[in-house]
Amino acid sequence: MHVGIVPVERLILFAGCLNVLLGEPLTMHRFLNLSILLAGLFVAVGSYATDAPQPITTADDLGPQIEQPIEFPHNRHAGLHNPADDADPSKPATGGMEINCMYCHTYARRSMVAGIPPLRKCIGCHQSIESVKESPRIKKLFEYWEAKKPIPWKKVHDLPDFVRFNHERHVQRFVFQQGKPVQEACGYCHGDVKTLVVGRRQKPLTMGWCAECHQKDHLVDATSTKTTHGPNDCFTCHK
Amino acid sequence: MVRTIASRATSKRHAVHDEQDFKEGFVMIENGFNRRDFLKVLGWGGTAVALSGCGNTSIENGKETVVSYVEPTDYQIPSIGVYYNSTCAQCDAGCNIEGRVREGRVLKLEGNPASSINRGKMCGLGQAGVQAHYNPDRVTEPLLRAGTTTENITWEKALATINDKLNGLKGEEIAFLTGGVSGHVKVLLKNYLDVLGSKNHYAYEAVSPAVVRASNKKAYGVEMPRLHLDKAKVIVSFGADFLGAWVSPVHFSQQYAQFRKGNRPEGRGVLVQIESKMTLTGANADRWIPIRPGTEGILAMGIINALGVGVPADVAAAARDYTTDRVSKDTGVSAEQILGLTELLKARSPSLVLAGSAAEGYSHGSQNAAAIALLNQVLGNVGKTMDAPANVQFAQLTPTTGNSLALNDLNDVMAMGKLKVLFSYGVNPVYTAPDCLKLKDNLNKVPFKVALAHYLDETAMEADLVLPLDSALEDWGSSVPEYMPEPQLSIQQPLMENLYPNTRGVGDILLALLKQRHADQYKAYEDFYSYLRGAFVQNKAALGGAGADDDAFWNETLGKAMVKLPGTAGSLSGKPTVAGLSLPATKASEGAYPLRLIPSVSPSQRDGRHANLSWLQESPDPLTTVVWDSWVEIHPKTAAKLGIVEGDIVEVTSLSGSIKSQAYLFPGIHPDAVSMPLGYGHEAMGRYAKGTGANVFKILDPLFDKETGELAINETNVRISKTGKRVVIVKEEGPNGGSQLGRPKIAVKVSSDKVDLSKEV
Repeated sequence: MHVGIVPVERLILFAGCLNVLLGEPLTMHRFLNLSILLAGLFVAVGSYATDAPQPITTADDLGPQIEQPIEFPHNRHAGLHNPADDADPSKPATGGMEINCMYCHTYARRSMVAGIPPLRKCIGCHQSIESVKESPRIKKLFEYWEAKKPIPWKKVHDLPDFVRFNHERHVQRFVFQQGKPVQEACGYCHGDVKTLVVGRRQKPLTMGWCAECHQKDHLVDATSTKTTHGPNDCFTCHK
Repeated sequence: MVRTIASRATSKRHAVHDEQDFKEGFVMIENGFNRRDFLKVLGWGGTAVALSGCGNTSIENGKETVVSYVEPTDYQIPSIGVYYNSTCAQCDAGCNIEGRVREGRVLKLEGNPASSINRGKMCGLGQAGVQAHYNPDRVTEPLLRAGTTTENITWEKALATINDKLNGLKGEEIAFLTGGVSGHVKVLLKNYLDVLGSKNHYAYEAVSPAVVRASNKKAYGVEMPRLHLDKAKVIVSFGADFLGAWVSPVHFSQQYAQFRKGNRPEGRGVLVQIESKMTLTGANADRWIPIRPGTEGILAMGIINALGVGVPADVAAAARDYTTDRVSKDTGVSAEQILGLTELLKARSPSLVLAGSAAEGYSHGSQNAAAIALLNQVLGNVGKTMDAPANVQFAQLTPTTGNSLALNDLNDVMAMGKLKVLFSYGVNPVYTAPDCLKLKDNLNKVPFKVALAHYLDETAMEADLVLPLDSALEDWGSSVPEYMPEPQLSIQQPLMENLYPNTRGVGDILLALLKQRHADQYKAYEDFYSYLRGAFVQNKAALGGAGADDDAFWNETLGKAMVKLPGTAGSLSGKPTVAGLSLPATKASEGAYPLRLIPSVSPSQRDGRHANLSWLQESPDPLTTVVWDSWVEIHPKTAAKLGIVEGDIVEVTSLSGSIKSQAYLFPGIHPDAVSMPLGYGHEAMGRYAKGTGANVFKILDPLFDKETGELAINETNVRISKTGKRVVIVKEEGPNGGSQLGRPKIAVKVSSDKVDLSKEV
């Protein structure tokens, strides 16, 4: 099993141990050293945790809160259904609609980019949803539609130009070959989107972070017990 | 949470933190902290940074906009390319192409495999078509010049200005100067000139096989017979660079590939190239024979004489004087080579003898071409390796080919002050005309000049009104290539939306001008697209769409971007004739100007129309590997006599002017000649073209082919003098072509099975 400890932390750890062994009196210095040791241990243990991809519910590296032209509520669309809502359909729903991510982000399984849904997709449903038609967000949506103008969404998950991330490969692998639930597979990188209103970066999306998951053993498909790593070539992402 | 070195190292924010840590550290040392404490503090800082996490600074979250489709088309998926067929407009070969389009932008061009011209292949010139489209120096707004000021105007004003200037003018006071044109743009152009009552359509090409066309017409009855290089056992090419820049190089390259295959019934073909300056085709030939410039016809007659048997009596009589000894003396080709070549032609039939631009560019160029055509006829190749193109229906669409005589005629008319309005499109005569023609002065005698232009080239700089054109990848059009294996009509369709809102297609401009005069006749056509569609749909029965639904026919035609044209088989008249054939004895080299200047047509620069495409400047010349500059090719013996070494800046002086460039010593040239590439040395036309190299057109003498009146491009004599400056030539190969990366050349004299590569390289 790979111990994902990195040289800097390892050095700190080493320095901490050395100080404890030397048996100096507990001073501010000693306290600092202990803390370093603890921090090093924390890091080391964290990296041992498991071969599974990281939990989707943690926001490990929260990106900036980005203001969008329309405050799109991911939670209303993809969030979990609240059974209490069924009792009285006339009241506004409090839960979500559990819509599949790929219903709107339709290109994710076929293309490098997941794609922002075309405006027509939004209108396709919303033209027949009377209950929210007068809400400010939907009014704004129809203004764009009538002007036939695309909504100028701001990018939330940008990568440097020298990185080529492919959605199709990941969706095919995790959703269609391994049979993972869609929200879990997307969540590895995007976090728990069903709880968010507008999208916000939840994970670091850095090379080390990508490589960490690529180094882990993943099942080849839903039924097999064989495992394999993600590709490790520079060329896979940098071309 | 684990962070790696990689993610830390790439972050500028981290770097700032560390710097602060350092400063804090120094402060602490002053307060009595020791080095160990300092390191600990550093460690804290590092851990804190590692845990804080942050993005990469090149990431633009929240800044960049992602624009989605409003209404997507089924087959449009972001990041996945769709291919659309169109037609290449980079040269007159008219290859059929397909362009990869992604997210509404054209990214790459390829050949269309269904094409009988280029069969899925494409040349470098064609590949650079995307650069012509995305070029940063395109004209984007109509420009009006008044005196020294230039202002951007609207299209309405531009068209109204043209209308004003044309009002009250007689037909002969108006002229159109274009390159070769064909298809529906040609039809509209003719209609417009008819409406204006003008017969002045000057089709000008600075580098064209016009003399060979005329000679072919005489010898075979057609201007451009169809060639079957793949059926010949021997090809003898007198300077026809059919692999590089002659007529339809991509098509001929594929025929040539078949010709070289050992497993065809005729066996592997032998190529002999006879020319004074080695071309790309010459470099590929089995035998390259350098010949004294201008004596190609004499050699052809010498071979006819040496053939002996099978030559018609009148031809034999005419060739009698061309004895091997005399021919050898005149041409500089050894008697042994002449007889060897004759034997080869006798032994292997059918062969194919071609006359190219190197043989035709003399004041007796027509005679050269006629003698070469005579040799081809005598060898009995007509009908075997050469046959007639089909006679195409819709003659109004067939190409009007350009020549350089047209410019002389126009120049004379302008000099007399007879022209009041001149339109120019697809040509750059201010750049390509020799200085001795005084074209620029004469042009300024025309009160109103309209240039339809992609770039502000030399001609557009002189124009009073510049109309910005759509690029070839934005415009609609149709074309019938001059050389095509099967009759076809190609469609050029936009591969993407206009990059600039105020450029227009040439067809649209002509249509708008026609509407000014005959609004009712053209009111059915909203734009050139609807005109083009209408023309195809009306003739769908003849174009293979009989009985089809209009929309279905048009969509299918557009999808293919070409249709077969109906035509009847043509025939060549093959009877050899010697009437009027006279080849001048070689002139003794003149004292003051002892060397012959051979301007060379490179596969990528041609006549300089694409000098502003940096890919073409960057791609090395196939023979000298020089980039981004012109050069003077000199034979090493000649250079030794003159004391010139590679990189010397030399002055090339003719009676008509002089230019300077770097000397390049090259054994692939006759010692009596020097060569410079055409297409360099622009004074305008954008950042990549302007000031790169020297313009050879400028110093050409006013010498013309006696029969056709074409500029005799190889007839100019020059002298070379050193200027005393020397540069390092920027080129791909090692010094003098003798070594590669400073190491000895790979052995070429040892047979490949005996070479020990570890020792040679």
